[in-house]
Amino acid sequence: MMGYLDKGMKELHELLVMKKITPLDLAKEAIERAKADSCNSFEKILEQEALDEAARLTEPEEDNILWGLPYIAKDNFSTKGIETTASSNVLKGYVPLFDASVISRLKERKCVLIAKSSMDELAMGGTGTTSHIGKAYNPYDPSHERMVGGSSSGSAAAMAEGIAAFALGSDTGDSVRKPASYAGLVGMKPSWGRISRYGLFPFAPSLDHVGYFTRDVEGAAYLLEALAGHDDMDSTSSYRPVEAYHEYLNKGIAEKKFCYFKEIVDSLSDEEMKKKFFASLEELKKKGASVEEVAFGLDLLRAIYPAYMVISCAEATSNDANLDGIKFGPYYEGKTYQESMNEARTRGFSELIKRRFVIGSYCLMRENQEELFLRAQRLRHMIVDRLNAILREYDFVYLPAAPGIAPRFGESSDKLSSEYLIDDNHLALGNFAGLPSITLPLALEEGYPLGVNLMGRAYEEGELFAAAKALEDITGLSGLSAINKKEGRL
Amino acid sequence: MNFEAVIGLEIHVEMKTRSKMFSSSPNSFSRAVNTEVTPFDLAFPGTMPRLNKEAVRMAIRVANALHMTIDHELHFDRKNYFYPDLPKGFQITQQRRPIGSDGYLEIRKGNEKKRIGIERIHMEEDTCKQTHFVDYTLLDYNRAGVPLVEIVSRPEMHDGYEAMKYVEAIRNIVVYSGTSDGKMEEGSLRVDVNISLRPYGQKEFGTKVEIKNLNSIKNIQDAIDFEIERQSKALLSGEKIRQETRRYDESKGATVLMRVKTDAVDYKYFPEPNLVPIRLSDAFVQDAIDTCPELYDSKFERYLQMGLTEKDAEIILSDPAMASYFEAAAPSGADMKEVANFLIVEVNSYLNKTGKGIKEIKMPATELGKLTLILKKEKLTHKQGADILFKCLEDGIGVEEAKKALHIEAMVDDEGAILAFVTEALDKNPQSIADYKAGKDRAISFLVGQVMKLSKGKAKPSAVMAKLKEEIAKR
Repeated sequence: MMGYLDKGMKELHELLVMKKITPLDLAKEAIERAKADSCNSFEKILEQEALDEAARLTEPEEDNILWGLPYIAKDNFSTKGIETTASSNVLKGYVPLFDASVISRLKERKCVLIAKSSMDELAMGGTGTTSHIGKAYNPYDPSHERMVGGSSSGSAAAMAEGIAAFALGSDTGDSVRKPASYAGLVGMKPSWGRISRYGLFPFAPSLDHVGYFTRDVEGAAYLLEALAGHDDMDSTSSYRPVEAYHEYLNKGIAEKKFCYFKEIVDSLSDEEMKKKFFASLEELKKKGASVEEVAFGLDLLRAIYPAYMVISCAEATSNDANLDGIKFGPYYEGKTYQESMNEARTRGFSELIKRRFVIGSYCLMRENQEELFLRAQRLRHMIVDRLNAILREYDFVYLPAAPGIAPRFGESSDKLSSEYLIDDNHLALGNFAGLPSITLPLALEEGYPLGVNLMGRAYEEGELFAAAKALEDITGLSGLSAINKKEGRL
Repeated sequence: MNFEAVIGLEIHVEMKTRSKMFSSSPNSFSRAVNTEVTPFDLAFPGTMPRLNKEAVRMAIRVANALHMTIDHELHFDRKNYFYPDLPKGFQITQQRRPIGSDGYLEIRKGNEKKRIGIERIHMEEDTCKQTHFVDYTLLDYNRAGVPLVEIVSRPEMHDGYEAMKYVEAIRNIVVYSGTSDGKMEEGSLRVDVNISLRPYGQKEFGTKVEIKNLNSIKNIQDAIDFEIERQSKALLSGEKIRQETRRYDESKGATVLMRVKTDAVDYKYFPEPNLVPIRLSDAFVQDAIDTCPELYDSKFERYLQMGLTEKDAEIILSDPAMASYFEAAAPSGADMKEVANFLIVEVNSYLNKTGKGIKEIKMPATELGKLTLILKKEKLTHKQGADILFKCLEDGIGVEEAKKALHIEAMVDDEGAILAFVTEALDKNPQSIADYKAGKDRAISFLVGQVMKLSKGKAKPSAVMAKLKEEIAKR
């Protein structure tokens, strides 16, 4: 049955301020729904902690839109006193001594942490199938045949199930923005350096971003105001002042220049996606924007995925070298330290992770660096240069966030086809260049969400929210949840 | 000798910043094990490096003292390898762009100066400390992340003496710039030696041997000289030198094999993504240089100008605390040569006797300065000065007070006054005159004693002796 948590953040805030509901009511609803979760969304539900915390919140803060809202954090955010495993056996039993900076900020804003969500192991993967607790399911598909996407799978699934007002994820290639597309959510990742990464378990720091899911663009704008800003603990975090992003929301898009990439749209095979996408272009024009087709360069687009794999695996193999069982995580006795480390890592990581480490390590070897790692870096620079050149001419890049609706498990795509190489992987452009990028629902196809993505210039998140809001007004699809769909409100 | 030795040194210096290289953890060396540790030092997931500005400043000072080109953009890299003392599984270092490159320092060899080239100096973090037992190893993470500068020389030294002088010069720079304690025995300055031999005139280097675990400057010289000898003998008897790591065994006075080196480890270096390149402003670099405390060489020159001998200047500068005490005496207008004498002989003997350090003594340096002024003004002897000094050191009182307590007064060396005492003594002791003349030397000592008694100890003994001999001769 429809609950409060199927609503947007602003509406919930108004209800809280008017004392029509309390944080405890919301926490109870969240916990109840979390316990009924059928999508394998959670590593841990924090029932008692959440209820205790919510019960303490009695005086609404009018100027704090996040006051009393229940949220979910992906299990790769360090949470003090709460076991955090990043869905990997290698971190079983690891209880952090400190909160990630985003967790601290949300605590200060009196948000209530409901659960730690499951994810692709150590955030590597885009399918939500590699968690040590098993695969996550798409809530729009009760038969559990479709994926919700990853790596922020549990956060996306839980949001689509209406379990929280918002959820934190992390995005290294598209790990928030792709599942947002499959789960009918707004998925946002701001510029690199805009939100502190302190306490986010690293996958590939030069590409890693803190991202999040909300039910509407407005919520995304407000949430960034709370999460953004410099943090002494992350020296890559920016000193630029944080803006009142919500003030951009109704700025409109008159005179704004949108572009889409020809190669990507051309290789779409989902006719419904194509049709809806082109229809939305016309609507954007009606609002005073211009939309043009741009050829990005097929070779460059096809290079995204391999360059991403090389760079991310190389960084990952180094970042995860700390997971050796000596300081934390399961420890295994051995005759030598090598034996001990070997055992901890052999037992702790799944095959997929080991494969990525081998790739990363291979790319960094002295004899391969030039041909693989450095070449990937050069490609990244070429791609970023091309993208930035386009964004000097256009305000936004507008594209389908995924080639279609959430795929079925085991539906294999030809990894060398353009459809796979570029349609399924182009969101990494935003990670390569550190640009703000937001996914939002475009339409429903056979009852499953289709998503689109907007990308803007670095540190111009406000403008991006304005464009996203205009698009949301066009689609009319805000406040989506699987329950809303089931009950026919979509 | 048939071979030319080619020697290069890698020196790791622990910087005495207040906190660690990339974390806020204190860096004091003295706390109980595993107490100076933050989540970053243990490599807990999600922690990130934060660059210590003070360490950068110190590295700039050392680079400047070594006449190096200073990179105004800081770049850091990861050096990846698995080892129990390396919590992150990688070390953050500066592989591609060291903060300082292409410098030199000068060592003195006899009357000549020799220039030794320095390839690079870079910043990095220390590993944690391992203590091995028979069947287990303990790890102390206090040392994990301690800031280091590594100074890499060019292979331009040719014997143990040169290497020893080079390390001494480096130590003087890091100590006097306030960068490090520079204590080899405690590991705050660690030297690795690379040494190879080749026939004179040959251009190619021979096979390189590394020597580690050198814990004193003297050991460096001894180890290298031993190693040159060992390799020479081996080469002369037709043996091949293996590429290996050796350590110096002090008790045997010999280098012993630690391990034979196989292929060099591939550290898979790549740029540290969590520290973006940092631009150093000219003002920051200049300020670091301008605020560098006075270095050894400059102090040495200054001490010579104060009238100290080279040897005395070296002795005082061998202990920075001694040097700073010495300099604190200067403003009083003291006779600095005399201050140096007191420091080197009396104060040092007092310190040795009591086991104290110079920082612990109660007597302010200005009092020592004052003592030299009083000695000069009141014509007191060095011996009297020493008595006053010991009294001050022992009782923690001022120079005037000590002098009064010891009833020390100026010596009488006025010829008339001494003559009066001498005449009186001789008149009273004719037997002694006779004894002296009969060749009994001891008699004169007795007479000196009598004069001193009459003068109540104030007569200057050397003047008394001269006058006595003179007067006896007349009788």
